Amino acid sequence: MSHERLEHHEAEATDRAMFGFWLYLMTDLLMFAILFGVYAVLHGNAIGGEEGRHLFSLPLALTETLLLLTSSFTCGLGMIAARLGKKKQVLTWFGVTFVLGLAFLLLEIDEFVKLIDEGQTPQLNAFMSSFFTLLGTHGLHITIGLLWIAATLGYIMKRGLNHHMVRKLAMLSLFWHFLDIVWIFIFTIVYMGAFV
Amino acid sequence: MNKKQSHHGPQNEHGTVQSYVIGFVLSLICTFIPYYLVVEKIVTGNTLLATIVVFGFVQMLIQIVFFLHLGRGPKPNWNLFFFGSTFTIVLAVVGGSIFIIHNLNYHMTPSDKIKKLLNDENIQQIGGADTGVCGQTYESHIVTIKDGIVEPLQTEAKRCDTLTFVNEDEVEREITFGEHEDHEAYAGEIELPVTRGRNKTITLSEEGLYRFHDHLDPDISGYFTVQSK
Amino acid sequence: MKELLIGKLTWESLPHQWWTIAGSLSFIFLGLIVAGILTYTKRWKWLWNEWLTSVDPKKIGIMYFIAGGGMLLRGGLDAVMLWLQQALSSGDSHGYLNAQHFQEIFTAHGNIMVFFVAMAFIFGLINYIVPLQIGARDLASPLMNTLGFWLFVGGIVMVNMFFFFGGEYAATGWLAVQPLAGAEFSPGAGVDYWVWSLMISGIGTTLGAINFIMTILKMRAPGMTLMKMPLFTWGSLYSMVMALTIFPLLSMTLFLVYFDRALGTHFFTTMGGGDPMLYTNLIWMWGHPEVYVLVIPAYGLFSEVVSTFSRKPIASYTSAVVGMFGVASLALSVWLHHFFTMGAGANVNAFFGVMTTFVAIPTAVLVFNWIATMYGGRIRFETPMLWFLGFGFVFALGGISGVMLAVPPVDFQLHNSLFLVAHFHSTVIGGVLFGIFCAISYWWPKFTGFRLNERLGRYAFWAWIIGFNLSFIPMYILGFMGASRRLDHYDAETGWQPLFILMFIGGLVIMLGVALQLAQIIASFIEKKRLRTNNDPWDGRSLEWAAASPPSFYNFTTIPHAATRDAYWAIKKSHNRKTQYEDIHMPKSTGVGIYISLFATLASFAFVWHIIWLIVVSILGIIVTFIVRAFDENTEYTIPAAKVKKMEEARAKKEKAGPAIENNDYDEDMGLWELIKVILGFILGLLRNRGWRRWRA
Repeated sequence: MSHERLEHHEAEATDRAMFGFWLYLMTDLLMFAILFGVYAVLHGNAIGGEEGRHLFSLPLALTETLLLLTSSFTCGLGMIAARLGKKKQVLTWFGVTFVLGLAFLLLEIDEFVKLIDEGQTPQLNAFMSSFFTLLGTHGLHITIGLLWIAATLGYIMKRGLNHHMVRKLAMLSLFWHFLDIVWIFIFTIVYMGAFV
Repeated sequence: MNKKQSHHGPQNEHGTVQSYVIGFVLSLICTFIPYYLVVEKIVTGNTLLATIVVFGFVQMLIQIVFFLHLGRGPKPNWNLFFFGSTFTIVLAVVGGSIFIIHNLNYHMTPSDKIKKLLNDENIQQIGGADTGVCGQTYESHIVTIKDGIVEPLQTEAKRCDTLTFVNEDEVEREITFGEHEDHEAYAGEIELPVTRGRNKTITLSEEGLYRFHDHLDPDISGYFTVQSK
Repeated sequence: MKELLIGKLTWESLPHQWWTIAGSLSFIFLGLIVAGILTYTKRWKWLWNEWLTSVDPKKIGIMYFIAGGGMLLRGGLDAVMLWLQQALSSGDSHGYLNAQHFQEIFTAHGNIMVFFVAMAFIFGLINYIVPLQIGARDLASPLMNTLGFWLFVGGIVMVNMFFFFGGEYAATGWLAVQPLAGAEFSPGAGVDYWVWSLMISGIGTTLGAINFIMTILKMRAPGMTLMKMPLFTWGSLYSMVMALTIFPLLSMTLFLVYFDRALGTHFFTTMGGGDPMLYTNLIWMWGHPEVYVLVIPAYGLFSEVVSTFSRKPIASYTSAVVGMFGVASLALSVWLHHFFTMGAGANVNAFFGVMTTFVAIPTAVLVFNWIATMYGGRIRFETPMLWFLGFGFVFALGGISGVMLAVPPVDFQLHNSLFLVAHFHSTVIGGVLFGIFCAISYWWPKFTGFRLNERLGRYAFWAWIIGFNLSFIPMYILGFMGASRRLDHYDAETGWQPLFILMFIGGLVIMLGVALQLAQIIASFIEKKRLRTNNDPWDGRSLEWAAASPPSFYNFTTIPHAATRDAYWAIKKSHNRKTQYEDIHMPKSTGVGIYISLFATLASFAFVWHIIWLIVVSILGIIVTFIVRAFDENTEYTIPAAKVKKMEEARAKKEKAGPAIENNDYDEDMGLWELIKVILGFILGLLRNRGWRRWRA
């Protein structure tokens, strides 16, 4: 098989893989749709507990939003570097993304721990159940994203930046941008919505 | 972006540093404006909710265009097609659930909500039977809370009088009925947020002796009795 | 300590009722027989290399058929048990099942038939046929396909696991009505098994859907535009897009059910502000479109069968494509008709009622397409065509009763009655199961290289049709008389017993049909030399008939060019078939699908019994397997053109050496008596220790 045809075959495979990953993201979006729908229906049922505006801190939520937004931005810059084949820049930008994502995750865990300490557990009422499940699912995705960044960066350090790695990074950055978009709605509906 | 390169490579579908910077700045703007609106309470209620949700959607579109570069690939653009159809389903799932369950709650609700509804809509009779809603109101009674003191501590009223809660303090109060933690509804009312300058009035349609208190500060409490006309 | 090690499992979880002992023993017995045969014939390695780790969609398709066929027998046995109980349990007699056990069988029957029979066959067909029809060598992601299949198998394992551990299945109806299925009212492991078997098979379905959408949209043969695709491929595309849309909804809803049960959250509980009706709303958002996921590919394949057996192109192809699109999109906006009686207002019920009746319009368009195709055609009434006509009759019955149920005031009378049960059995058996039988008899020559026995196929068809009407027409009548579904006992004064007995007899006739189908397959294998056909026994129109029967693992030696809609028809007419050999890229076999599914099944088991360490270990196993595979850059291999040429020439030689192909000689097909004689002779030979050698010769 000629080199050119092999390359064409690879390009088609990449195109298909990216499309497939996009379809996966759509299924993820639908899973979040259920969680948002459930939250929208149940958030008023804060039986035996506090309502959102007595529990949430807007400045904290804003900090989390900015962390995630910035990480989405640095992830995009890392992707540009990856397409240009600049390994060192890729490691730096995705490293920054990792740190920002980790900071976000720690803030979220801290918020969860504080809520549970106050007795606002997921078992308390429907509002808390839907809140913890929605944010927990997003947090779980962030955790998976962080693991993924770590694994990819590890392989890049070991094997260098070949086209397989660029494909992995492209999927990773789609995933990360997607999580940021989901967070916009969590910030808007859950946090700011509680103060309306 | 030029379309000629798009033949097999994905080269042209990706952003430049410039597009990412534009996207980032626009996203920041779309984060801070609704945040400011919420914190400063420039508009309130459903208008505010609608405004921040619209800003959320705008920010989503910005990120889709500048970060995800959707719609820039070769034709036919299946990514865009699937995003569009999925998003329609998302709206159907969320909107449909709200529509159906809200309608259900409207028709089949706990008795408290039904009472509140009857009061709010001033429905006095259903199928010839009295609902207990007052057609007209008579005397007005006022309970004032100032410096954490309830005045008067006990109010004597007749059925279909009104009772107004006035809060003179800076802090927000939530008037609820019954003992703290074990709240009861009175005439369908579960919770009355009262702030300085915003009073709340209820119609005394249920007879008996009732206790009310501030949910946020349970020590602040009082009584009112309602006798038949 | 014990809790840390084995969670909620106890000695009482082991089989101790008659049905769990019988069930687990028969599974062990079956397993031992299969293992014994494999060991005796030294085929373990062959099984692993050629089948279990294969990424060839054709082999995966066959494995789907085998799994689905097994589950059809399992679910059919459930059905007979239910019929027998209802025929017996009137007045003073309480039948032979207790109420709890009856409800468990009910639930299992529904789950198995929808998830592990209908889905299995539909996925098997799509796997086998779609790549051939679009002229592709393989799927977009072969790994995802085997993973999807093995997760589906994991689902089968989980749905039967209660025989071994726990001893009870969900007794809550096939969609686990809330709050009945909550921890408060169903504290046992049954509902958890329900959750996790649907969960892992549902995730497998989502993966399959992603894969087939990629394949159909990105891997069609050159020249084949969307509007030149065969209608079965169109149906599969719609079905997979719908599956992609709804299965994530199912997965997330199941997670919420599990959280309620295991973690004590309040989504669907009666306490703590939960809302059971929210569950009903969410599950039917998945549940209603799900039946269309099953039936739309059937619409597609009926279109092809009608056109092939009428020797005409399908009438108004475009309107068939649009009609299927109409059904698919309307199906997503009618879910509330499953709970009209929930108490929503007239405006909500009216909206969904009207949307539901609209579904009849695009469906009618399709029916008119088929009628117009048959009109003026020279129709051959062979078994696939018979199944199509049977479908036409039964499905019309189901469709009309469906439109009746779509009217909210009527639904208030008939909701949850046997009328409803008869309605959806008419649509699912008529539409999906008959479709599957039609497809198998139509494509069997492609799967194996020989025809199915035509005579026994006809017997089976008539047994099915008679049995179906005998059992489901009384069910419609009983529904009107007020019999509700899931009824394990009724008063003698109702006078229902004769009708229930009639239903049971109908059920036995259906079982006879199933037995005849098995006999048909066995007879065809016995006679396979005589039934041998070429690659195109029906004078087909679409590309799958261009490939050899059975196709080589790379499907096509040269990727065909699809110039027109009935691509193979045009190729046949042009007589211009020069073969050019080229290098072929194929994916390597991989066990990753099995490993991940094994871990997922273990994790599900651990979730059911709250065995924390096993949950952690199996999820870590999934993650590690996944990472190792994701960074494996060496997953394909190339077959050089010279080797392809050699293989093709060897095949042609073998075909020439075989007996001459006789066609259209159906009267010679083995009948039932001959079959029994042959089988008896074989057993006698086996007893004289000669049969095995003769069989292999």
